[in-house]
Formats: sequence, structure tokens, C-alpha cells
Amino acid sequence: MRVEHYNRLLGMMASRRSVLKGAAGAASLAALASSGALGTASSAFAADMSADELALRKQILQIPGVGKGQPGDAEWQKVGEMVLGPTKANVKQGEFAGVELTFMGLNNQGQHNFLYRGFLKPWETYTGATTKWIDLAQADYNARLQQAVATGTVDFDVIEMGAPFEGDVCGKGLTSEMPDWVKTQLDMDDIVAYLQPPVGTWNGKQYRVTVDGDTHNFNYRTDVFADADLAKAWDSYSDDKKGLTKWGVPTTWQQVQAVTKFLKGQKFQGNDVYGYLDAPKPWGGFGFYFLGSRATAYAKYPGDKAFLFDEDMKPLVNNPAWVRAIQDVLDALPFEPADQINADPNTTGFSQFLAGTGSMIPWWGDIGSNAKTSDSSVIGDTVGFSILPGSDDVYNRKTGKWETLSSGPNFAPNCAYLGWGVYVMARVDGDAKKQKAAWSAAAHLGGKDLALWTAAYPSGFQVYRNSQHNIDEWVSAGYDKDFITSYLDSQFNSYNHPNAAVEPRIPGIFQYYSAAEDILANTFAGKMKAQEGADAIAAAWDKLTDQLGRDSQIKLYRAALGMT
Amino acid sequence: MANTAAAAHFVGQFDSIPPQRRLAGRLLIALGSIGFVLIVLLQAFDAAGIVRIGFTNWRPTLYAYGGWAVLLCVGLVLARGQRGWRALFILPAALFTIAVAIFPTIFGLSIAFTDWNLASLSGQKFNGIDNLVQAFHDPFYINALLNMVYYVCAVLVEYAIAFCLALLLNADIRGRKFWRVTFLLPFMLSPVAVSWMVGKSMLETRFGPIPRLVRWLGVQTPSFFGDPIWAKLWIEAMNAWVSIPFVMILLLAGLQALPKEVQEAARVDGASAWQSFWQVTFPLMLPVSVTAIIIRTIFQLKLADIVITVTAGGPGGATDTVSSFIYRVYSDRSNVGYGTMLAMIYLVIIIVFVTLVLNFVGRRMQRMT
Repeated sequence: MRVEHYNRLLGMMASRRSVLKGAAGAASLAALASSGALGTASSAFAADMSADELALRKQILQIPGVGKGQPGDAEWQKVGEMVLGPTKANVKQGEFAGVELTFMGLNNQGQHNFLYRGFLKPWETYTGATTKWIDLAQADYNARLQQAVATGTVDFDVIEMGAPFEGDVCGKGLTSEMPDWVKTQLDMDDIVAYLQPPVGTWNGKQYRVTVDGDTHNFNYRTDVFADADLAKAWDSYSDDKKGLTKWGVPTTWQQVQAVTKFLKGQKFQGNDVYGYLDAPKPWGGFGFYFLGSRATAYAKYPGDKAFLFDEDMKPLVNNPAWVRAIQDVLDALPFEPADQINADPNTTGFSQFLAGTGSMIPWWGDIGSNAKTSDSSVIGDTVGFSILPGSDDVYNRKTGKWETLSSGPNFAPNCAYLGWGVYVMARVDGDAKKQKAAWSAAAHLGGKDLALWTAAYPSGFQVYRNSQHNIDEWVSAGYDKDFITSYLDSQFNSYNHPNAAVEPRIPGIFQYYSAAEDILANTFAGKMKAQEGADAIAAAWDKLTDQLGRDSQIKLYRAALGMT
Repeated sequence: MANTAAAAHFVGQFDSIPPQRRLAGRLLIALGSIGFVLIVLLQAFDAAGIVRIGFTNWRPTLYAYGGWAVLLCVGLVLARGQRGWRALFILPAALFTIAVAIFPTIFGLSIAFTDWNLASLSGQKFNGIDNLVQAFHDPFYINALLNMVYYVCAVLVEYAIAFCLALLLNADIRGRKFWRVTFLLPFMLSPVAVSWMVGKSMLETRFGPIPRLVRWLGVQTPSFFGDPIWAKLWIEAMNAWVSIPFVMILLLAGLQALPKEVQEAARVDGASAWQSFWQVTFPLMLPVSVTAIIIRTIFQLKLADIVITVTAGGPGGATDTVSSFIYRVYSDRSNVGYGTMLAMIYLVIIIVFVTLVLNFVGRRMQRMT
């Protein structure tokens, strides 16, 4: 860590954590981010840990070690065993004998619940509890959960759930309030600022054990953007380069568009090379986030939290900012791989980018954690990361004008989905033993040390604790220092960005996204113009708001924005 | 004559039921019915909040229905003797059908006329014919219905291919048994597996073997699902690959059941191979063909899995089916009321369509025979 950065940081801080939690801290961190100081600032958290704890974390990260194959059940169980310490401090051996918990979660790409089975195995052996599993595909998750809630047939004790569903579940009193001993075991202050309450709470009560942090970062191929032949071709490229005078990684969406058009027809290492990869195919509502990542820099004006709806839930999706983002997709698609219109985010991330096609995509942090550790990845070290590109101008919805900021391009990282959490259902509250068992299992999965491992290896979960920003720990696991610094900075700088776009936790949010996806699919296929598509989405959203109850939606939305 | 008299005496013995037994039977039926109605009413009042009993689910009604069904059967035997026994041949099946088909359909209809979004805090609300009106103004639903015309027409192509294959497998070819099993294999595969194997692997534009072949043939950027027409064709091709063996096996069974004498007589009379097929085999196969086409059409009208997996209805709704659209409305948007109405409308369309086809074919076949 550079001494001047350290001194500057300490000078600004009352305490390291309070700064990370506060808006002022976020602003200062964002300022520091550009100078590269942020990556090392959080490593100061290592100082809060004992030597034993640091040694344990180092040991955990060696299972199996980066570049030594993809971990499986044996590794998951081993890691689960090694992080049992906090459980043992709160639970006696065999205390939950006879308790059976039902856990509902995802089975995406053999991750999530599959890992949890391994992690919980040693916990089961120690506590005497057993677990029954309900595995769901991502596409089935929303329907299964909504049915259980609406029909009063909650048949699970613990659920892996995203914060956007908190309105649907916690808002209806279906979850158990987190006991204080769990809060202590979890070291809640360590969680990054944007995932601190109100996220995870409802009416002031804490319900969520955070196990994941989510944001879309920008993933790019370092080898493509360092290629001498492409640099030469870019120098002689006569079209508008949108300010990217020298061949390199685009930092604005305008440049992303220019580079994508330029790369069509170019060769890299003898093969066709492509620029940005859009994900136009619907994906159960999750695909809308990818348009959101293109739109936030245009639509999220600094100081204004609203970017999806205005304060009265009037959709903003058909304002000039969103229309420009839709038009960008329409303009870029002809320059992307054939059949790109049939690509969903899973395809762009795992079948294309990790498999070597395309040189730029937005995605959750899975790209970084899979690039070097997944058996299906061929790109390895040749990937770099940053926060999402910015825009030369930003739309101010209040004035109805595009503005060029004096500070430069507008950046607005899309903190899409707010991460997964583990929630205990209220149905266990009537049985003290079962309730403690359920919370103990949840706390085990949300543990600080386990979090480090899940972010370092393919798991479906990304960093969500400030303590995970210790570069040295990752390097000791086998990560390349530049690679991991770039990756972690892209994550933490997005979380802590003062102009981060944080989606509202309102009931039915995925219904809005899913309705939009269908209309966008038609728009991207050329059936509608960008503005027509955007207007159709706005009309569909308005109708949905009416159906869900406009007054209650407005109330919850305003609460999410921090308005009373 | 003596046997008939004995039989009448036998039946008469069974029909001479003592009044006490008849009364017991009727009492049993009455008690069962009263109990069943009482429990249904209590549950309904509890659900409506008129009384507070504390039912947590509708299982008591289900159990009451089961109990009533048993008492009804026993009561009928006691009260009506042999006529009661005769009723038992059909009554359990009828009660079961009411429970699993008729009641759910009526219940579904009651949902179809409500505004019920699972995420709505206000729950289910009756909204008259709003869902019906919305459905006929929904461009996505209309588009899916129009796409179904294409998919249904494609059944005729599937039938033609299946007929050719069936004729081939019915001929005296070498390894006939082996080919029969081989040709059946695609039918044994899950459509979702085929979607991944073919749609998302073999046709994957970067590494799939088919795009490689197409590139080798000179098409630089092959796209199988980017163009609406090609996407439709490829979806139907995968669907046909899975489904043709089913039609083929029905037709093969029909071919094997044809009387050999008629075909031999045609040959003796000097009919060419084509004449023998077109004027003898094909007409004789019409009843089997109609059955195969109708069954296949009903399956085709429910097409969803391949579309959901490969294109999600795209590009721009080109491959969307009614089932895949309803899946999105229900699964992704939790819009239960509207989704159920869409399904009900589709059910009516299917019933009307199949009835018209059957009537038409029936009349044509009567005329031919």
C-alpha cells in the first residue's frame, strides 16, 4: 500500500468501517478508486483478525488452490468443516439431534445448493440436525416462491433468496427475525455498505443473512485490447472513435459502441474477434438487468436515486436515456456474433465470453471467479475488470435535458439483484430448538471465512464483505495480483460508488422485468422502434403497478428510495 | 328357456332387498352427503372469514369427498342390490374423473375470471371478462396463436415423412428390426435433452458441427435462430425429429394389420407400385392416418419445451407457442388469473378445432366408403 494513500485514507476516516458504510465514505472511496488506492484500503481489515484467523483463511483458500482444478463435494465438505468454529462457539455438540430442516435454493450450474450440501454436512454431523433439500432451477424459482407465498404453503424452513423478493416474503411476515447471537456470529458490520440495512430488513427488523454481493461489472479481454495489430488497425480506423484515441479498453458506452463496430471483421490470433456481447433473449426477468447496465450511465443522474420509476411509480423506461440504451443494442447487434439475438445472459457469460468469444460483457462477478477456476473457461488470465462504462452525457429527468458533467463521464454501476441471502422462515418460530438450528445453519453459510472461499471459487456467490478485499489473501491462494486487484476493485468500486444504481425492493419487481423482456425481444428483432418498445414497456409496467396495488407499490417504492 | 327363467329368478333374488337394508343404504348415503356438504360449507365459511374454525388447508374437504364417495358406493349396494353393484362398475371412475378433471376445470374457470397476481398484496379479485378482453387484444397471445397455425400445418409434413419411413420399415429390408428400434430412438429422448444436444450444441454458431459444415460450404456467418423463418424451421425440425417416430410407429402398426390379399389382388390385376399405394394402401390406411394426425396435432398444440429451451419464443416472437407464452405469463409474471384465462381460451379453441376436424374427416370417410 502506498504510504500517501494510507495516510490520506486514515485522515478521512473516523473508523474504517464507518467510512465504508457512509455516503461520504463512499464518495471518498470513489475518488480514491481512480488512483488505485481502494484495492489496498480494505486490506486494512486484515489487521482486525487474529493470527489464527488469518492462518485459517489462508488454509481455506488452498482448497484446492487456484489453477488446481474445479472443487467438488470433498472440497466443499472440507471447507465446511474448517469454518465450523463460530458454530461451535454458539451450539453444543448434538444440540439439534432430531431436527430436520428443509432448505430451498437454486441448483444453477451445479452450484448454490450443491455447495451448501457440502458446507452443511460437517455442521449436520456436529449439531445432529439433518437437512432436506428443495433444488430449483433459476427459471422455476420465482414461480415456486410466489406460489408458496400466495397459497400459504410455505414448505421450507430456510430459503436462499434475493433481496428483490423481500417485499414479497418479509413484507408478508413469513420470515423469522434474526436473533442477536446470529448478528454477533455474522459480524454484520463487515458487510459492504450498499447491502447494509435497509437491505435485508423490513419494518426495521433484520431478516437476512447475506451470502452474496451483486453488481454488474465490466469484463474485457486484456489480450484483445493489448494487441498490436488491432492497435494499428484502430489508428487507421476512420470512423468516429468517440474519444478513444489509442487502442485500449473503452471507458464509456459511446466507446463500447465504436469498438464493437470496429472489431466486426477484424482478426485476433487468426480468428474472428467480436466486441460487446448483448444478451437480448429473455431470461426469466434477469435479462433486463443487462439492458439496465447499458442504461444506468445514461439514466442515473448523480444525486437522484430514481432511474426505473419516478417518485410516483411513473415508469422512466421510456425516457430518452433508456431509449438510447435500447437503440444502442439495436445498433450493436449487427456487429455481434451471428445468432446473438438468441443469446441469453447465460450464453454470453459462459458459452461465449469464458469460452473465448467476444471481448466485452457486463456480468455479475461470476466471470472473474470462474475465469481461472472453472474447467469450462479458456480465457484464464486474459480478462480484466472495471466498473461499468460511463457516458459522456447523462439525462436529467427533472430538467428533461441531456447534460455533460464538469467532472467528466457519468458512471452509475448497476448493483443488479443485491445478492443472495439466506432467510429463516417464520414457521420455525414455534419450535425453539428448530428455530435455533435454522438460524445456526444460516449463520454457518453466511460466515465471514466461508465468504472468502465462495468468492474465490465457482459457487454462484461474489464478494460481499469488506474483509474480502485483502489482495494478499487472494494472491496467496494462487491468483495473479493484477488480475485479482482488477477484479476486486471492479466489485467494491461498484458497490461503494456514490452514483450506484440500486434497484428498488418492491413486490413483483421481476414481473416488471419479465414483461419488459418480452417487449424488448420484439424490439431487438426489429418489430418495433426503440421508442415504441420503450413506450410499450412503460404501459405494461403501469398496468402491472395497478394490478399489484398502486398505492402500496408507491409506498414501498418510496421507502426503498429512502423517502418517507 | 329354462336358463332364462333361472337367470330371472337369480336377478329377482338379488332385487328383493329387505326394507331395513334399503333404509340403511339410504341413511348411509344421506349421512355421507350431509357430512360432506357440512364440511364444505364450514371450510367455505372459514375461508371467507364468516366463522373461525382454523382450517389450515382444504384437505378436510378432500377427505370428506373421499369418505362421501365410499359411503355413496356402499349405500347404493345396500339400497339397490344388484343395480347398486352394477353402478360400482362406473361410479368410482366417474367420481375420480370429477375430482381430477371436472372440478379442476371448473375451479380453473373461477380463477380465469379473476385478477390474481401472486405478488399482489390484495390477493384474488373477480374482474368479470377483463381477462378475456385483454387476451384478444394481447399481441403476444395473438402472435402465438398464429404461430400455432404453422406448427399444426407442419404436422402434415411430419405425417408424410412418417408414412414414408413406415413403408420402408414395413418392406422386407435387411436389418428391419434394428432399423425399427433405431428409428424409434429420438422418440425416447426428452425434448429438453434434444433442445440442448441439437439446438444449443450442434447448432451453436461458434463450435457446433453443423455451423462448421455450413461454413465449410461457404456461408461465413451461419445463423440458425437469428432469422424468424429459419428459427421457425429449425424449431419444427427438432420437434419433428422427436415426434415423427411416434406417428411412424402408429402407421407401421396399421400397415402390418392391412389384409395382404387386397394388395396381392391389386398386384395380380397389374397395379404399379404407385397405384398399389395410392389406390389401395393409402385409402385403407386412412382411419389409422386420421387417428395418428389427430393425436399428433393435439401434442403439437401443446408444444413448449423445445421453444422455451432454445429460443424462449424469439426472435421477436417468431417461434413462440401458446404454451410457452402462457408459461411466461404464469411462471415469470405470476399472473395466475390472466394465465388461466389464456389456457381456458386455448382449451376451447382446441376442443372446437378437433371436433370440427373429426366431423369433417368422419363425413369424408363415410362418403368414401
